[in-house]
Amino acid sequence: MSDGNNMLMVAGLNVAYGEAKALFDVGMTVRPCEIVGCVGRNGAGKTTLLKTIAGFLKPTTGTVTFNATNLVGMAAFVVAGVGIKYVPQDKRVFSDLTVRENLELASYATNDYDWSQVTHYFPRLKGMMDRKAGFLSGGERQMVMIGQSMLGNPKLLLIDEPTEGLAPSIVAHLKDVFSELKKKAALVLVEQNLPLVCAIADRVYALCEGRIIAELMDRDSIRPEVCEPYL
Amino acid sequence: MSVLRWWWGLLLAFAILALGRVFLPLPFANEIVLFSIYAMGCNFLLGRVGFISFGQPAYLAVGAYGTAFYLFYFGSNPYVGILCGIVAGIVISLAVGALFVRLRKDYFALVNLALAVIVYYLMQKVLAGITYGDNGLWFLTSIASTPVLDLSRPDQFFIFAFLVAFAIFAFYKYIDDSIFGACCLATKINEDKLTFLGYSNFSIRLVAFVIANTTTALAGAMYAVYLGFVSPEITSAARTPEPVIVTILGGVGTLYGPIVGSLVYIGMKDLISKFVGNWELIIGFGLVLIMLAGEKGIWGTIEPLLKKAFSCALRRPLPRTLGGRSDD
Repeated sequence: MSDGNNMLMVAGLNVAYGEAKALFDVGMTVRPCEIVGCVGRNGAGKTTLLKTIAGFLKPTTGTVTFNATNLVGMAAFVVAGVGIKYVPQDKRVFSDLTVRENLELASYATNDYDWSQVTHYFPRLKGMMDRKAGFLSGGERQMVMIGQSMLGNPKLLLIDEPTEGLAPSIVAHLKDVFSELKKKAALVLVEQNLPLVCAIADRVYALCEGRIIAELMDRDSIRPEVCEPYL
Repeated sequence: MSVLRWWWGLLLAFAILALGRVFLPLPFANEIVLFSIYAMGCNFLLGRVGFISFGQPAYLAVGAYGTAFYLFYFGSNPYVGILCGIVAGIVISLAVGALFVRLRKDYFALVNLALAVIVYYLMQKVLAGITYGDNGLWFLTSIASTPVLDLSRPDQFFIFAFLVAFAIFAFYKYIDDSIFGACCLATKINEDKLTFLGYSNFSIRLVAFVIANTTTALAGAMYAVYLGFVSPEITSAARTPEPVIVTILGGVGTLYGPIVGSLVYIGMKDLISKFVGNWELIIGFGLVLIMLAGEKGIWGTIEPLLKKAFSCALRRPLPRTLGGRSDD
């Protein structure tokens, strides 16, 4: 059941990789047009949480409800179809395809061929449409991946470590993009870059060893020195 | 202009192939065209979807026996026979594809090999009552003459096979340029990412599998009409690597790789077997050397060089008298 303003509700989520449990009774909510940060050490379960919401992993127990639709058991491509886009951490675009073909794939899946928003946020992509994506830098690949996820006007973006290994200028640019994107969609941002999270997140969940150990609910409490102990 | 640009490579390739017919013996030319169609399915699976299949002879046999059953038991029109082979290919590909494309890529290769063995024993032993086992089905004399292109005559069969091959290659070029082609390549590169964009990998792979193996079945159907004979030998274990070898030799995933690979492989086989008894050994060493020299295959190595040469030639400014732009 969708509750009040909540667009996404995760409750009692338990996920395991075979015998190894990765998430324990995790719960979180996301409201429309807000940025929710997820912080925690490596192996805390942040990526597992995003992959489970995106339908790539099946929880052993628990519910994932998106606008009153239970997502548990749905295939990942069906979850993408309801408006939840996952941007994985690996920055692996379709390297043998051009930037244009990469975007076309996303357009065809969503029937959205208006790339003006993508080129507005990432004008650099305009000049490299015919370049093979395998020849792009890490930052440019991230732009392509976020550009792909923006097509089709998704309602929720799950973005996994978007700034990992990127130059500070690109990180600053992505920060502005995320702040802009928030006007149209909710974002769940898994990040280790605390200054970025603290600058743009409306709420923050801290994970440790598969459990949510803290929930920072108001903007004033979301500061690097508060989040630091959770990393 | 863009239409001409799309067609010109294809037209040039088939013009060279047609020209080759003037110099090459007819059986050799027919064999190259048929093997090119046969290898095209394998090339698509391996180059576009990333699935290596050692079971292509199974689908070749399905097409060949689909045609042979019709021509031996029911009718004499070779066109209808080929149609039966295609339908058999679609049905079997759909039936096994729904199971096979779920598998990991290494298991996929092995399960197809197992299918080739199953088909071999089905045709040789289990269904020997209707397939006549190792003796095979002979129907060369019962193939009816047909108007326009008489497929019972090898020279006219070549024209038919040539036109079919042209249509098949144009179809695959169209797929390569389409969003479906991009999806196939994307599922090969990063299947998870494709899922996150909202695509079903299973559906893409199944459609690609059916397209590739129906092409293979079509080649089998055409072999059946051309030879007028089908036996279980068509799917024997010794033949299972042939389409993979030709694909790798020509250049995996390249459009013209199957033609070049077929030309070289069959050429080597024909030429060397005339002089050497154990020709397989010589061909084996030859293939190793060719592949070591260029891991992209023959066409895969030549194509970028040709493109570079053509683009340099086209970029060179024309003299002013011919309407070229002057830099001054």
